[in-house]
Amino acid sequence: MSIQSRGTKAFAFLFAVALIFGLSSWAGAAQINIGALNDMTGATSDVGKDYALGIAEAFHYINDTGGINGKQIKLYQFDYGYRIPEALTKYKLFKRLKCVAIQGWGTGDTEALAPTVAKDQIPYVSASYSGHLTNPEKTPYNLFISADYSTQSRGLITAWYDNKWPKKQDFGKRKPRIAMCYMFASPFSSASIKAAKDQAEMLGFEIGDDQDVSLFAIDTKSQILALKEFKPDVVLHTNTVMSVAATLRDAYSLGLGADHIIKNWGFDENLPKLAGEAAEGAMGCAPWAFFGEDVPMMDKVVEYAKKYNPGVPLEKRTIHTVQAWANVLGMAEALKRADAAGDLSGPSILKNGFETMRDFTIGLGVAPITFTSEDHRALSIARVYEYTQGEFKLLDTVDLQKRWPEKYANEWIGW
Amino acid sequence: MSTTWLPCGKYHETYTQDHAWWQTTFIRGKMIALFAVLFVGIPLLADDYGLSICNNVGYTVLGALGVQLLIGYCGQITLGHAAFLAVGAYTSTLMILEFPWPQALLDWGLAYPISILVAAVVAGIWSVFFGLPSAKVKGFYLILTTMAAQFITVDFIITQYVSQIGGRGQAFSLPVGTIKVGPWVIDSDLKVYFMMLVLSIFLIAVMVNLLRSRVGRAWVAIRDNDISASVMGINVFGYKLLAFFVAGFIGGIAGAFWISNLAAISPEHFPWSWSLWLVGVILIGGVGSIHGTVFGSIFMVVVIEALQLVIMQFVDTSWGSRLFMDFLFIKEAAFGLVICAFMIFEPNGIAYRWWQAKNYFNLWPFSY
Repeated sequence: MSIQSRGTKAFAFLFAVALIFGLSSWAGAAQINIGALNDMTGATSDVGKDYALGIAEAFHYINDTGGINGKQIKLYQFDYGYRIPEALTKYKLFKRLKCVAIQGWGTGDTEALAPTVAKDQIPYVSASYSGHLTNPEKTPYNLFISADYSTQSRGLITAWYDNKWPKKQDFGKRKPRIAMCYMFASPFSSASIKAAKDQAEMLGFEIGDDQDVSLFAIDTKSQILALKEFKPDVVLHTNTVMSVAATLRDAYSLGLGADHIIKNWGFDENLPKLAGEAAEGAMGCAPWAFFGEDVPMMDKVVEYAKKYNPGVPLEKRTIHTVQAWANVLGMAEALKRADAAGDLSGPSILKNGFETMRDFTIGLGVAPITFTSEDHRALSIARVYEYTQGEFKLLDTVDLQKRWPEKYANEWIGW
Repeated sequence: MSTTWLPCGKYHETYTQDHAWWQTTFIRGKMIALFAVLFVGIPLLADDYGLSICNNVGYTVLGALGVQLLIGYCGQITLGHAAFLAVGAYTSTLMILEFPWPQALLDWGLAYPISILVAAVVAGIWSVFFGLPSAKVKGFYLILTTMAAQFITVDFIITQYVSQIGGRGQAFSLPVGTIKVGPWVIDSDLKVYFMMLVLSIFLIAVMVNLLRSRVGRAWVAIRDNDISASVMGINVFGYKLLAFFVAGFIGGIAGAFWISNLAAISPEHFPWSWSLWLVGVILIGGVGSIHGTVFGSIFMVVVIEALQLVIMQFVDTSWGSRLFMDFLFIKEAAFGLVICAFMIFEPNGIAYRWWQAKNYFNLWPFSY
């Protein structure tokens, strides 16, 4: 190779780098920059890809319907492969791109970034619904449009206790027994365990040893065999769907005989496909409607899925797309309110946007949402579905605020 | 023998001269320029994003140095190094959060520096524990025992017990202001960058000095042929354990540094894949080369960032959004292919290419 051709190649490379960095920094006048961190190739990609598609489609919808009071949104969406160091650099890139708000993803990176987000005053709407993110005193700029994991777990345990326990043979003869399966090392999986145990104790459950089930688990027989000694009436699962499906299959084949209650990320349209007969009777929390359900705004969700990702068959789309839409619609409403107040800074999006929402309805089957400056729990309601005879059927709706107003207001926030 | 090209007529006359740092005026000039870029140029020109990438590179360098020592210089293959980073990170964090520090040490900003030192020693000792099997096993069997370090340390001890200390749940957050070095509170990317730079340069200097000492020569002898090394009178097992200690020590410092960058940790930050990643760094950079550790780290961090930025430019086009979705998987595959390509076409890594390029210019115009 001649020196000249090497020089040309080096120049071309430097030019490309300069172009990339130059373009990256460019931002139009009438546009609002939003960052999105998604996991499409990492540990939680089994549910993350559908969510990421939903984020992109929902922002297309916002732009197609007038944007934010006429201003278009420019979305910078990245896959960080659930690698925490990469999440950090991407967050810094969003700052460089002058993103006014961020759509985040997992509990690990969201909780890790929470102090930085608070310092930088950038609203961070996550797909992590950890209860640790709901106390504005500690994490003022973390928000999400969902029931938090702790509310979900409390609601699930309560719904099972109200609806299933009275029908059991041993009802009235002994305490109900509960055990919990989750990945100990994962902040996501373990986020609501403390709240779940508190709720179980409050309702008079006997609590068995926790079982460490990896998010990547494909065989959980040893955990199920350990559970069989305890003979639980119900098992709480807080992992994502692939891991939950593996656990349900092993529980079914080894004859555990317990009911299963599942946090939202483990309870989607893929669960029956992956777990087969073992999914029959499984109960899970779904603060949103399932993909394609007959609820307001779902027609748009389906339309944009067809329009922007025609290569992904509709039957493969899941509730995670709907979750993404809920987070985007909530953020868009906050942006509109802040923009109408004449200030699109982070503090304004929080104070004039999110924290002005009172019983605000976005459709998609989500209960009315409320944010206040003292409480960032958008929903106090856990909607519990049961998968039976090939369908997800609403089993119960537990409103923690109505049922335990004192504890909900004063004791349960932030964990 | 020194690999430095000296001007005509100049010769080394002593062993000390032969192993001296920066032997010519030109090299001294280059190093001063490099230090100027690192300490002045980058801090002046880079924004938070640029500094964040630099900090990521630095963290990778700090993590990979120990792996380079074990694999590249002592021939002890390890696939569990993330465990020692985790030990360092948790030791430092717990000391900051739980240790009853005298107020004077807190005021002088010595709590974090002391915790780094303790973290390094604890990680070093923990590493020695997992180096013990190296007395009996090597090769694939040693890989398995080092992998055990990951599962026993992170998945079992840290997750089940250490994470529960203080009842915080899995994630430990460090309150603002607790990470303090002397009068400086480490609360910005720039301060983290300077800390990373000082730690990286210090540890690289320590490594280079060790490698040109009796200890380093013993490690290399063990790597090349442990039986011959033993016949020469080298205490093979002792030096292997020393290599594990030093690698763990450096890993502990890397882990303790990491908490300054994030102010939070959880076991998820130290997955087994990170150990594998660090081995990838030295394979691409060059096994048995300190330069290779740095080049490999830069390559592994910057290439991913560059790929992401390239994708970003095309998201708005009609075909771009589809490319964006598919490219994610292509990106992962491309990354694997790069490692394969290095193994096949340049097994000596980027460091060897660097050496060739340097020679070309040093010997110009007679570089044939």
